[in-house]
Amino acid sequence: MPVFEMDGKPVEFEPGEKVLSAAMRAGIKIPHYCYHPGMSVVATCRMCMVDVIDMGNGRPAPKLQTSCSMDAVEGMKVETKNEKVQEARELVMEYLLINHPLDCPICDQSGECVLQDYSFEYGSGKSEMEYSKRVYGWRDIGTFVALERNRCIQCTRCDRFTREITGTNEFGMFNRGHELTVDTYSDRPMINQFQGNMADICPVGALTEKEFRFKRRAWKLKKTPSICVGCSTGCNVTIEYDRNEVFRLKPRDNPEVNKWWMCDLGRLTYKTLNQRQNRLGNPLGKTGDGLQEISWEEAFNAISGKIKELQPSSTEVLGLVDTHASNEELYLFKKLLKQGFGSDLLCFPEPDWEQPVSDFFIDSLITSDKTPNRAGARLLGLKGEKSVDAVLPKLTSGVKVLLVLGQPFDVESLQVQAASIPLVVNISAWNSGWTQTADVSLPGRLHAEKEVTYTNKAGRVQRVQTAIRAHHKTRPDWMILCGLMEMLDVENQVDSTESIFLEMADAEQGFKELQWEELSSDGLNVPQTLQDPGRTEVSELSKTA
Amino acid sequence: MIEETLVLFKNIRNPDYDKSLKGYKKSGGFKALKKALKMKPEELVELVKSSGLRGRGGAGFPTGLKWSFMAKNTGKPSYLICNADESEPGTCKDRELMLKDPHQFLEGMMIGCYAINCRHGYIYVRGEYFPSIKSLNAAIDELYADGVLGENAFGKGKGLDLTVHTGAGAYICGEESALLDSLEGKRGHPRVKPPFPAVAGFNACPTTVNNVETLTCLPFIVNEGPEAFAGFGPPNNAGTHLVSLSGHVNQPGVYEVRMDVTLKDIIYELGGGIRNGKKLKGVIPGGSSSPVLTAEEIDVEYNFDALSKAGTMMGSAALMVFDEDTDVIKLLHRITRFYNHESCGQCTPCREGTHWARLIVQDFLKGNGNERKMKRLQRVGGNMMGTTVCALGDAAAMPITSFVKKFPLEFEKYYTQAAA
Repeated sequence: MPVFEMDGKPVEFEPGEKVLSAAMRAGIKIPHYCYHPGMSVVATCRMCMVDVIDMGNGRPAPKLQTSCSMDAVEGMKVETKNEKVQEARELVMEYLLINHPLDCPICDQSGECVLQDYSFEYGSGKSEMEYSKRVYGWRDIGTFVALERNRCIQCTRCDRFTREITGTNEFGMFNRGHELTVDTYSDRPMINQFQGNMADICPVGALTEKEFRFKRRAWKLKKTPSICVGCSTGCNVTIEYDRNEVFRLKPRDNPEVNKWWMCDLGRLTYKTLNQRQNRLGNPLGKTGDGLQEISWEEAFNAISGKIKELQPSSTEVLGLVDTHASNEELYLFKKLLKQGFGSDLLCFPEPDWEQPVSDFFIDSLITSDKTPNRAGARLLGLKGEKSVDAVLPKLTSGVKVLLVLGQPFDVESLQVQAASIPLVVNISAWNSGWTQTADVSLPGRLHAEKEVTYTNKAGRVQRVQTAIRAHHKTRPDWMILCGLMEMLDVENQVDSTESIFLEMADAEQGFKELQWEELSSDGLNVPQTLQDPGRTEVSELSKTA
Repeated sequence: MIEETLVLFKNIRNPDYDKSLKGYKKSGGFKALKKALKMKPEELVELVKSSGLRGRGGAGFPTGLKWSFMAKNTGKPSYLICNADESEPGTCKDRELMLKDPHQFLEGMMIGCYAINCRHGYIYVRGEYFPSIKSLNAAIDELYADGVLGENAFGKGKGLDLTVHTGAGAYICGEESALLDSLEGKRGHPRVKPPFPAVAGFNACPTTVNNVETLTCLPFIVNEGPEAFAGFGPPNNAGTHLVSLSGHVNQPGVYEVRMDVTLKDIIYELGGGIRNGKKLKGVIPGGSSSPVLTAEEIDVEYNFDALSKAGTMMGSAALMVFDEDTDVIKLLHRITRFYNHESCGQCTPCREGTHWARLIVQDFLKGNGNERKMKRLQRVGGNMMGTTVCALGDAAAMPITSFVKKFPLEFEKYYTQAAA
């Protein structure tokens, strides 16, 4: 790779790459506002100015150059810290703050505000502006983001976002000069499904998420990398939480999956992580008086006693699972049925789903398959059923033991039928129709409460990490499955997600050769290309940019 | 006695001139185009290069050289866009050319299109120029009817179309890349360069943007040869040029002069001296964005190089004269107000700086000035210089810094008077 020199250090770049992006890859910090790697370069904030002391031909550039728009050239020498550059940055900072309200104490961006950070780092701390500031009134631009135009520094990222990323063009710049401002066209509310990203890319507090407004100061939030389980895309996110309460999900950039973006629906899934209603917090057992809280020991004893009594043959055990379960859990569930009962009777709901296709990448993020791990189930060779009607006959054909992981086919007609099955066990984080039907219900955990992996629609295996604590009487679903195996005397040596994953990668063709250590939060692709007959590509009308 | 040298204004100065196609042809029009069509485009580019023609829009960039930068063999169409947005305060020369002799300009435009292999040229006219637009459109209609324009303009099967597009009143759309954005139907915001328009301009195709006056010079150059054109002025400042003389002179107007005429002669001889016999205080030599000259500095040749040596610039050759009674601070306030209003607002220094500078000048007018504020004004103005995407930052900065530098006493007078 060709190399140029930045502050005396060599920086590699790809031909055609800009100085700023090469520097960012090399870990050199150059302050910038308007530049965003996902959007066109406008070079208007003038914060990323650098001093090119040698343009690669022995001559210096006549004046300071914006590094975001300057092509890197072999042999170029760039300085980012000299006096000239510092002066230019001070100047830009001073100018940006002339009309900025400096309302940090009541601004939600405070703590993660680039203007704040750069003021502190590069600003002079002085201002000679002595006239009144430009003031705008409040504008409501829709349900998801709040617009505070006084804080805007006119970097135009939001404007470029609706033009270049979503193609919806409902947001733009208005007026000229010092009155340049952002707003929606014709007073209409925002319509795109990715508005949250505008709050993310806004370097200041001009656009903030309404969901998050005034809930927590940004610096109080702890952050754990995770993925969004709202659909089968599996956008990389950061779970941000404080005192065990999740406040928001922010996209984490991963060029292989979601780039820098995620959809608003996905963002809203943070609410389910905080939900206490309808969560199972205790193992439940069915007695004459209905459901009763029991201990784990009692639950396991009840199940093993019943199984010993029933002595089910391999065709008399049925497993139902939904694809909210992780790869590890699906694998263990399959193993449990196979080795514990010799049963192959295992199915998951597999409705057809639609994949939008359009000129705009971001549209492909939302799929109609709202479960995170359908591809994982397919890779493990599990059997999918399109409808409840196909499952019903299986329940009636003399099944003695029904194991339900999650809430698959959660409809009353099935549950009424299942009530006559001698032993129904449900493992789930949620209280569902199956909980009411089951003889024993075992409380599992949500994805943010355990460490597991999911396979997204494109066959990328991605790991989530434990972010928040679950109710102390719940257990990760894989641990429950291990407990059941122990109870059935199935040979089982796994005791962590890592060991399950290693065993799975060893045993299952679909996950062959995947290494746990390489499975950083960015994920790994499975060795084969995925075929999903349920996938229909729906072309979104090509929007004009 | 200085007199006009009539090249571009040859017809316009003729009181009997009929500006229709018939009249223009009678005066020898469209001979140059015929001659040009016999040449190869590359030869034409070389011809213009050797004539030494420099762009008349403001920057004075050699036109032939600009043409030679056009990306070749890209598989994309090339475009010639005529910048007729003439928005620099004080400039009104292109208006005359388009209004009073549209065919001469259109012939030049056609020669330009031929030279850079353009098959569809656009003329971006300032929106307020209703009579010029009308006149241009009428002339283009005549040309289509006559078959000069259209399917076979450059010979069989080699057509040329010309389209007049009107701006909507933004100063910034006179900046070539903002003009291209505006022409494409976007907000007129200057683009980041590179890529320059010659590589990716209108619709991302190779594009040249030329001024009206520049293109109007072409028929003469082709007809009479590059030497004749170069022979008019001092070296490196070839040809005649149109001066828009305005302000406190007895005879304001557009004059065509050689480039070795001095500023003083233009004001006192062509312009007939200062109105009401007053004394001269200063001159803004090249549109409101050029640094001001005081009365003592006007004995300078009015051309690109001499003015640049004198620390100012010729710009679009809009000469604004003000007499001893003029309140310089009020004048500067008017100028800063203009740039404050016309800044597109994308770059931080210009967006905030133009506004801030206006507020400071306004403070002086209110009697709140002081020395500290004068220094601040100098700093705020200077900080816009060379720090923005386009030249508007420079354009706004130059008058501010030069006024503070050249008329400090006027500023002082303001605040000492207020104190007393």
